[in-house]
Amino acid sequence: MSPRRALAPLLGLVALAACLRDPPLAWPPRAPGSQRGGVLRLAAPDDVPTLDPALGYDSRSWTYEQHLFETLVTYDDQSRLVPELAEGWSIADDGRTYRFRLHAGVTFSDGTPLTAADAVGSLERVLDPRTRSQGAEYYREIVGAADYVEGRAPHVAGLTAPDATTLAIVLREPDPLFLHKMALLFAAVVPAEYARRLGDDFTDRPIGSGPFLLREWRRGERLVLARNPRYRRADRPFLDGIVEQSGVNGELAWLKFLNDEIDVSGIPPADFPSVRRATDVERPGRLVSGLTLVTNYLGFNCRMPPFEDRRVRQALNYAVNKEGLIALLNGRGTVAQGIVPPGMPGYASAATGYPYDRERARALLREAGQGAGFATELWTQSSDLDLKMSQKVQHDLAAVGVTMEIRQVAWSSFLEAIRRPNTVPLFDLAWSADFPDPSNFLDVLFRSSRVDANNHTFYANPTFDGLLTRAERLRDPAARTLAYAEAERLLVDDAPVIFLYHPIAYVMTQRRVHGYAIHPLLPSRFTDVWLAPEPTGAQGTSAGS
Amino acid sequence: MIPGTRHGLLGVGLAMGALLVAIAIMGPALAPYDPTAPVAPRLAEPSPPGAPFWLGTDDLGRDVLSRLLHGARISLLVGLVAMVVTMTIGTAIGLTAGYFGGVVDVLLMRLTDVMLAFPGLLLAVALVAVMRPSVWTIFVVIGLVSWTGVARVVRSEALSLRERDFVLAARALGASHARIVARHVLPNVAPTLVAIAALSTSGTILLDAGLSFLGIGVPPPTPTWGRMIQEASAYYRVAPWLMAFPGLAVLYAVLAFNLVAYGLADRGTSAR
Amino acid sequence: MRYLIGRLAWALVILLCATWITFGIVFLVPGDPARVVAGPRADAATLAAIRHELGLDRSLPAQYGRYLWRLARGDLGRSYANRQPVAATLARCLPATATLAAASLAIALVVGLAGGLATAPFAGRFVDRAALVCSLAILSAPVFWFGMIALYWLGFRWRLVPLGGAGTLRHLLLPALVLGVGTGVYYARLLHTSLRDVLTLDYMRAARARGVGPVRLLAVHALRNAALPLLTIVGLDFAALMNGVVLTETVFHWPGLGRLAFDAVLALDVPIIMGTVLLGAAFVVVTNLVVDLLYRIVDPRIRLG
Repeated sequence: MSPRRALAPLLGLVALAACLRDPPLAWPPRAPGSQRGGVLRLAAPDDVPTLDPALGYDSRSWTYEQHLFETLVTYDDQSRLVPELAEGWSIADDGRTYRFRLHAGVTFSDGTPLTAADAVGSLERVLDPRTRSQGAEYYREIVGAADYVEGRAPHVAGLTAPDATTLAIVLREPDPLFLHKMALLFAAVVPAEYARRLGDDFTDRPIGSGPFLLREWRRGERLVLARNPRYRRADRPFLDGIVEQSGVNGELAWLKFLNDEIDVSGIPPADFPSVRRATDVERPGRLVSGLTLVTNYLGFNCRMPPFEDRRVRQALNYAVNKEGLIALLNGRGTVAQGIVPPGMPGYASAATGYPYDRERARALLREAGQGAGFATELWTQSSDLDLKMSQKVQHDLAAVGVTMEIRQVAWSSFLEAIRRPNTVPLFDLAWSADFPDPSNFLDVLFRSSRVDANNHTFYANPTFDGLLTRAERLRDPAARTLAYAEAERLLVDDAPVIFLYHPIAYVMTQRRVHGYAIHPLLPSRFTDVWLAPEPTGAQGTSAGS
Repeated sequence: MIPGTRHGLLGVGLAMGALLVAIAIMGPALAPYDPTAPVAPRLAEPSPPGAPFWLGTDDLGRDVLSRLLHGARISLLVGLVAMVVTMTIGTAIGLTAGYFGGVVDVLLMRLTDVMLAFPGLLLAVALVAVMRPSVWTIFVVIGLVSWTGVARVVRSEALSLRERDFVLAARALGASHARIVARHVLPNVAPTLVAIAALSTSGTILLDAGLSFLGIGVPPPTPTWGRMIQEASAYYRVAPWLMAFPGLAVLYAVLAFNLVAYGLADRGTSAR
Repeated sequence: MRYLIGRLAWALVILLCATWITFGIVFLVPGDPARVVAGPRADAATLAAIRHELGLDRSLPAQYGRYLWRLARGDLGRSYANRQPVAATLARCLPATATLAAASLAIALVVGLAGGLATAPFAGRFVDRAALVCSLAILSAPVFWFGMIALYWLGFRWRLVPLGGAGTLRHLLLPALVLGVGTGVYYARLLHTSLRDVLTLDYMRAARARGVGPVRLLAVHALRNAALPLLTIVGLDFAALMNGVVLTETVFHWPGLGRLAFDAVLALDVPIIMGTVLLGAAFVVVTNLVVDLLYRIVDPRIRLG
């Protein structure tokens, strides 16, 4: 046999690669001078994890879910609660009974009417253990939820639809955060019967009432949303569609952006210094930035020696040069003075944090009997940036005599390990807010009873817990803020974590893109985004650098 | 074939290897800076090669030359120790299978087949996740993943030796298996083993670099060449020197051992 | 025929062993697959519900048994991470990897044949030694580094090829080259060596005496015999190729099986890990089988027993 002949089938396979090319998509022609029309072109390294609102719990999924579905209430640009699918709502005096009035005449994108029964079914679907929803816990305090989850009742007793446009919810206890929970995408209204029938496949054929609908999703290639012609608001969205190409890493996305192949891109760390130094005119596009409700920190296990000693924890807070970390981030962050991000609406933090001060760090270590230094281990996940940050911290700590080993673990193992007592002395984590409320940081991360859930520091201080309980019972927002601020001051003093920084998000958009903003809480929304019409015959406004 | 020129490969390889060993031993003393300290004026902006940082600095402001010199030690150490582990497992299994033959041979070779069916790198990734990442883990993991090739070669050598007169004679004289293997089989396999060992060292250095590149190699602050390449990948457009130098270092080390291996193999074939 | 049945049975045993070993290793990895499904913020109750739903609260043998039982009925399960059927995910990633592997193998064979044939007549001369040193240098470069250098020059500086991504032949070129050239150089050396041996054989001398031209002599008469060892190596190389595939797919963001498997190991996505290992092992086993059979066809001295 001749080896040349053996090559023929292989070359056939090579030719197959040429067939993987995308077929063209047809979009309606655009009226000149109109804000309406046009397609927003995006790119991302991976596929969107899911489009099923019961399942998604990450910003990538939420980016698209929030355009396909609607929740009863949502947030405005300042993270204030505003009505969406609900026209309005009322809360009974007992603080336990909620009534939502839905807009009348809303239909899903397939034309079937959206009723309160769908809202009931959507929440039941999230609670159903077979759905395996990460959001189930938010709705367990509804009366009858436990019976439903354990199969003792066919429906959740406290979840009813008295008529087609009214949803009534009864809670076991008053919950000041319940409206926020209804703004989470887990509570998005889906066609309940249809979604239940499709099960795990709902993500492939999602139907909702949002401004866009799913037109095509080929994993590994692209996701295409198109305007939902049945959307409740006739004046929105402006865009005809959104196309996200997948398999494009940050590096490549930037080069595509410079080539005007996509409309929005993050800025790779290697290019950020030059972009930042450039004037607005020199830049290849419009720089959009915003502070998000995120805090990056290094958590101590407060029960593991030597970190059970507050002085050691404070010393390490002084020893880390946070400005250095932010320099490593190309300045894309602000130093954290406490745990609650500065952008938290209606909250004024009184925490003053820890300045970079090696002498005080050494003094505190001596005071704690650790003057000779000690060895510890920082657990971090495998991301490139985390590892570089860790190496910087490692160097800072070495200067005060603390030898910190870096233990790099996969995300799944990391999550498991930090929950086990006496396992992880120091860990690298970031928390982003679920709700615009200080309790989402102070209570969720540090209350002693949350050790089973998200209090990985095993921090337990009865005074702190008492302050939280007091704050939670206060109805007056100002008094509540003050109480939480007091709790945070105590927390910063106790230093169960090394407070690092709050990241600032930066993206660049083509100059014709308008209305693109970074939301502190949610992924960027495209409902209000519009594209300036290109003057006929002219090139794009931006040229590659 | 001109025998003398062929052996030139071996000589060049040995000379390159000697230089590598010298750098590995003295490297830390030669390094102008602390390889883990940010010495450059600015973070997140690598500076290009030139005085006072002859090979530039990385985004954490560390001196590339110092990191390379320190990295030589760890790369060579991993390469050699992992090679010893690989050779030990491979030789033990190969000798046992080849010398005893029969059912033992079939069983051991089937085990080798199963191991070969695994993509080695993925197995290594999983094993590193099970054990904790450290230099020791890397030794063991590389050994566990790469012994199959050695085992196959050693087995076929042993298989041919067991029928040779001196082995048969020793057996007839009542020598124990262990004695026969140690006295008669092993010395005869030895020349091949040396060549495989050199080849295996170059293989383990490459595998170690690959593991480091995937972020599961020897943990920081130990500077390893593979990790240096990985950390440089975010800057490959604006600071190509960051990936160029550690890559050349790996190439140099691997080439040294490859030259030795090919030189030895050539000498072996021309001698026979 | 009996030989073939024996080989097939053996292939099945290997696959079974592979699933068993993988399952064992995966469960040794510290971490909880339920946590992957539940996400970082889920509370204990949600976690327990999910663990039960996935059958993770049963014993390891029970879980393995259930996996095998489903596998026997052709059900590979669903990914823990995105709940897509594993079979569909594999089917989506397979073409990308198969295309990459095939293209790189094609390049490897072209480089190998051309290199081997071109250098064989110069055995022992300067050209030969220069070629050897060059090949060794290429073989000594880490594939991911080679990839990044290629990306820098061919993609970024000279703009000849796209800088990553997949879809068209142009996208395929760089990863296939990077993966294929190293292997090709290796094949060239092998072919070179065996051609050198073959050329000294009596029947080659006879052919030369009969007046067969040097090109024909080399490309037809010698190659036929020298190709045998190469064929074996090509088959055996498949597992090694998978290593290169993982690294190459990482460097070029190629949406294939290597990357899928690597991410699945990091995320403890057990069904995907099992699926990719099974598929990879099946590949190796089948290739070995095919090579074995081809070997017997090419070399009639070996009888099918």
